[in-house]
Amino acid sequence: MSEGCGAPSGGVSTKGIDIDRQAVIDGKVIKNGSAVTTGYARLLNADGDFAAEVPLGGDGGFRFFAAPGTWTVRVLAPGGVSIDRAISADYGRVAQLEIAI
Amino acid sequence: MSRSDILVNADWVEAHLSDPGVVLVEVDEDTSAYDKGHIRNAIKLDWKKDLQDPVRRDFVDKAGFETLLSGRGVSNSDTVVLYGGNNNWFAAYAYWYFTLYGHQHVRLLDGGRKRWELDSRELVEDLPQRPRTSYVAHDPDTSIRAFRDEVVAAIGKTNLVDVRSPDEFAGRLLAPAHLPQESAQRPGHIPTAVNVPWAKAANDDGTFKSDEQLRALYRDAGLDLAKDTIAYCRIGERSAHTWFALHELLGQQNVKNYDGSWTEYGSLVGVPIELGEGK
Repeated sequence: MSEGCGAPSGGVSTKGIDIDRQAVIDGKVIKNGSAVTTGYARLLNADGDFAAEVPLGGDGGFRFFAAPGTWTVRVLAPGGVSIDRAISADYGRVAQLEIAI
Repeated sequence: MSRSDILVNADWVEAHLSDPGVVLVEVDEDTSAYDKGHIRNAIKLDWKKDLQDPVRRDFVDKAGFETLLSGRGVSNSDTVVLYGGNNNWFAAYAYWYFTLYGHQHVRLLDGGRKRWELDSRELVEDLPQRPRTSYVAHDPDTSIRAFRDEVVAAIGKTNLVDVRSPDEFAGRLLAPAHLPQESAQRPGHIPTAVNVPWAKAANDDGTFKSDEQLRALYRDAGLDLAKDTIAYCRIGERSAHTWFALHELLGQQNVKNYDGSWTEYGSLVGVPIELGEGK
């Protein structure tokens, strides 16, 4: 059991984790074809309530471990950028998302 | 105490970051962000390595806190300005912790590291050098810290505020969704707890909502602020954020943070647990 609640840049690695028991949402944020490395990915549930947030990784990536269902990923970046994208998640599947800002 | 005595904005920090008597402190569980770039003159505190006892589950004791701050060059008269990632969760925890040990002048940077980054303000890699001090801590102020027996006794009597996300509250998730979901504890929440997610107290950029918005938030959630209140989350840092909103910003003196939180309560044998959206 993880002792902390910290959110590392890009999200926690799936290495060593049983994906069959996780509903992973994995994505990347790009701008003009390049990775956006300063910004945040925020996960909202179907009611629009906050569920999690991670700083974007060095490759513009983010990862969440959600529950089955429909979620919204909100990207926050300098310059007042705030973009929402809907995605569905389920156990045993890595839902992929690429968001251009 | 006015809001600006405890919560400062980024402009204030930029204007005062070189003042003698002001110590900026970045607090995080993962301090790699600090190592890659931090606010000029900021020192770092590692939530786990510096603030938690290395053996038993508790935070460092008074002597340990004195040793820590003396070694980092923080003196009793310094104004400590805390900030961090995760929307200031760990910085709010450290604020609660500094307050518990009686530090007089402590403030939080509104919006923390996130707002600073979204503003594209300067981050540096230079490490500040601070001469050693002889820091003296007060005895811990347990009027702001709740323990498990007190929490169990509070069921149905005083306010219990669960500040985790609605999905964690209902038992659909066991941890925030940026972490792998684990099954070492039972899901759910403490019966009679009201779910007021910490995130509702903050704007998207991590800054706190206004006092009026905060009052409306807790009032609309059905919280009777005339009663004693205990806030909890999973490990006590998100609930420190809510403790800051209630105790510091709104001036409610009868508010405690239960830092054992769900990782303790959800593992206790025999205590009542409620699933679902709550009543």
